[in-house]
Amino acid sequence: MTAALDSRTERWWTTASVGLLLPIALLSAWQVLGTAVGTPRTPLPLNIVKAAAAMIASGDLPAALLQSLGRVFGGFLLAASLAIPLGLLMGYSRSVERNLDPVVETFRPIAAIAILPLAILWLGTGTSAAVAIVAYAAFFPLIVNAVAGAKNVNPTLLRAAATMGLDRMTTIRTVVIPAALPSIGIGLRIAMGVGWTAIVAAELAVGAKAGGGGSGGIGQMMFVFYAYSIELNRIIVCMIAVGLVALILDRMLRAMMRRLMPWAIQ
Amino acid sequence: MGDSVITPPKLRLDGVGKRYPVAGAPDTVAVDNFSLDVRQGEFLVIVGPSGCGKTTVLNVLAGLDTPTSGTASIDDRVITAPGPDRGVMFQDYALFPWQTVHGNVEFGLRYGPAGANLDQAAREQRVRHTIQLVGLTGSETKYPHQLSGGMRQRVALARLIANEPEVLLMDEPLAALDAQTRIVLQDEMLRIWGQDRSPSERRTVVFITHAIDEAVFLSDRVAVMTAHPGRLKEIVDIPLPRPRGDATRALPQFQALTQQIWSLIRDEAYRAAAA
Amino acid sequence: MNAQTAGQRALPDRTWGALVYLRTMLVFAVVWALVARWTDNPILLPSPLTVLDAAVALARDLELFEHAGISLGRMVVSISLACVLAIPLGLAMGLNRLFDRIVDPTLEVLRPISGIAWIPLALFIFGIGNALPVFIMTYAAFFPILVGTVAAVRAVDRRLVDVARTMGIPQRTIVTRVVVPAALPSLLVALRLGVALSWTAVVAAELIGAPSGLGYAVEWYRELLATPQVMSFIAMIGVIGYLCDAAVRWLNRRLTPWAQASR
Repeated sequence: MTAALDSRTERWWTTASVGLLLPIALLSAWQVLGTAVGTPRTPLPLNIVKAAAAMIASGDLPAALLQSLGRVFGGFLLAASLAIPLGLLMGYSRSVERNLDPVVETFRPIAAIAILPLAILWLGTGTSAAVAIVAYAAFFPLIVNAVAGAKNVNPTLLRAAATMGLDRMTTIRTVVIPAALPSIGIGLRIAMGVGWTAIVAAELAVGAKAGGGGSGGIGQMMFVFYAYSIELNRIIVCMIAVGLVALILDRMLRAMMRRLMPWAIQ
Repeated sequence: MGDSVITPPKLRLDGVGKRYPVAGAPDTVAVDNFSLDVRQGEFLVIVGPSGCGKTTVLNVLAGLDTPTSGTASIDDRVITAPGPDRGVMFQDYALFPWQTVHGNVEFGLRYGPAGANLDQAAREQRVRHTIQLVGLTGSETKYPHQLSGGMRQRVALARLIANEPEVLLMDEPLAALDAQTRIVLQDEMLRIWGQDRSPSERRTVVFITHAIDEAVFLSDRVAVMTAHPGRLKEIVDIPLPRPRGDATRALPQFQALTQQIWSLIRDEAYRAAAA
Repeated sequence: MNAQTAGQRALPDRTWGALVYLRTMLVFAVVWALVARWTDNPILLPSPLTVLDAAVALARDLELFEHAGISLGRMVVSISLACVLAIPLGLAMGLNRLFDRIVDPTLEVLRPISGIAWIPLALFIFGIGNALPVFIMTYAAFFPILVGTVAAVRAVDRRLVDVARTMGIPQRTIVTRVVVPAALPSLLVALRLGVALSWTAVVAAELIGAPSGLGYAVEWYRELLATPQVMSFIAMIGVIGYLCDAAVRWLNRRLTPWAQASR
């Protein structure tokens, strides 16, 4: 037993060291070259780390991230409360699907960010527009996957429910919904990713149009660093933060799915 | 049919063993000390329960797997890699789905050493001849997904023999077919192999199956393997007269041989089913 | 298609589907018109007919198509760039474990940072103009295509490669004549995703940092509070997005007919 463990940790170390080769090489080259030939404005790895420390310590970065996350969750819940029941219904009932699908499919190719100007027109440049954009963006993956989940319920299971004498509502509750959960889970993950990208885009665009004030959030912070204070190191800190949050959200959702639905292999 | 001492066997497996390390457990021994000589022009069938390592033995002969002990050789040359001298047919045929029947059969000749000496006309002629041999004339432009299981098997066979390998290695090629098609293709296989020719004029075949009647019908000798670990239990001579056909299956000797082989692996089979 | 037993299905499925589509959209348009009349604010919600008029006017003086063409052109360039970069890299990573282990961690770190997050930095590097949208769009398409290529290569049936090896075919030929064709169906699926993400990115990039294109047009008209025009361009964005996806799907059918059969 000990021998196997050692070989596993040993393999982890070799994988880790091989994997770190390229990033370390690139970062070192960047630092050296940037210091040698760059201007004072050139972003450098060490300066980025320093900027990150400063932004975290001052609370600016966490505050902006939390603001954006709050909007994402708000929009997400809004979209989910509409998309999941609707999607399940569409997947279960052919006639409902036939009537609603054209509307969904017509708007699906129109990205959330394209709707942004319209949202600003209707709701102004504040949080409500941002939440609306996230909701719109998250809506489509959620509904598409809910429909697929309900549609792909093994018909044998439905027949088994019928032979057991279950009525429609009970069948939906006890067979369709659990069977559709893995698909819904996939939809949640995709929607979360899409929603997070959408909020960053929305805040960026609003920041670009509404000037320095108002909407807040990580996207806006990035734009301010570009347009007003030209702090490239800080922009990069924001970029990394955006990526990290995306990663963490995805992992969290995946872990949640594994907990709730151990039978579904994603 | 005694063992020939003067000419070396076509294929030789000498103490071949294959073991796999398993984390936190003793190694899995897929094959243990497997020794077997295959004569030129012989049709040898390996039979055994699931998990007895027959596919591993075939992979070693093909050069797709290297043994952890012992050696495999062809014409006294050690096998270290796959090559066109040993053609392989897999259980699910592994046809190239983006190629037509013609494209599949032609593939080895077009891109491999087997077709190096052929100009395009000669190559085309061989492809057509092979397609005719397996009875697929008229289907050259069809794609694998448009073919039935029996036809796909023929394409795989055609692709195999178009390269004119000295040895044919086949891993349960008829397993995916229904019982009737199977019987038809068993006859076809013997015909294509050339069962009415002399051993020096026909190819050497190593054939894996788990169907005992198939093994007895096709082979000159049956190598019976047992599982856990995979070992050669016994080699059974099949002196049934050639050419073989429907009448062969009715012979009392056929029954006797089938029973004999079954009794060798019966216990194993029951144990495997209960595992 | 049994017309008798299907009752109202006296028409082929396709025509029926189109009719249902029209009916639903008509209902949608009517609801829209009613709400528009009720809110009575042409800037907030113009009536469908006003939007239609605006769209026709834009089409007639070609402005609609000019911007569409510019955005589309940028996307074609971006997708081509992304493919040229991502596919060979993906092939190398899928075929060679060591190369994958060296390169993958770096890529995995960059991947979660969406193309859109790059906009401020890219704005600084490229300024406003053509290069910015192309950069953002190439970046957006790069990762899905790369990840898809690696997955496609890894998913190639081992047996197909083994068969080719037993025929004595050299490794390079195996890559070009077996691995690539076998991976093609999955690769085209990845391309679909890349196109979709790239098209989403174009709007964001043009909204913020380009002097032309559909995203720019949407923003331009928004600033003029010309809602009908805004909606027209948004509709155009949707139409082209749909057409591009249909084009890739067609390509998929054309190049890999054998994969469609099993779907």
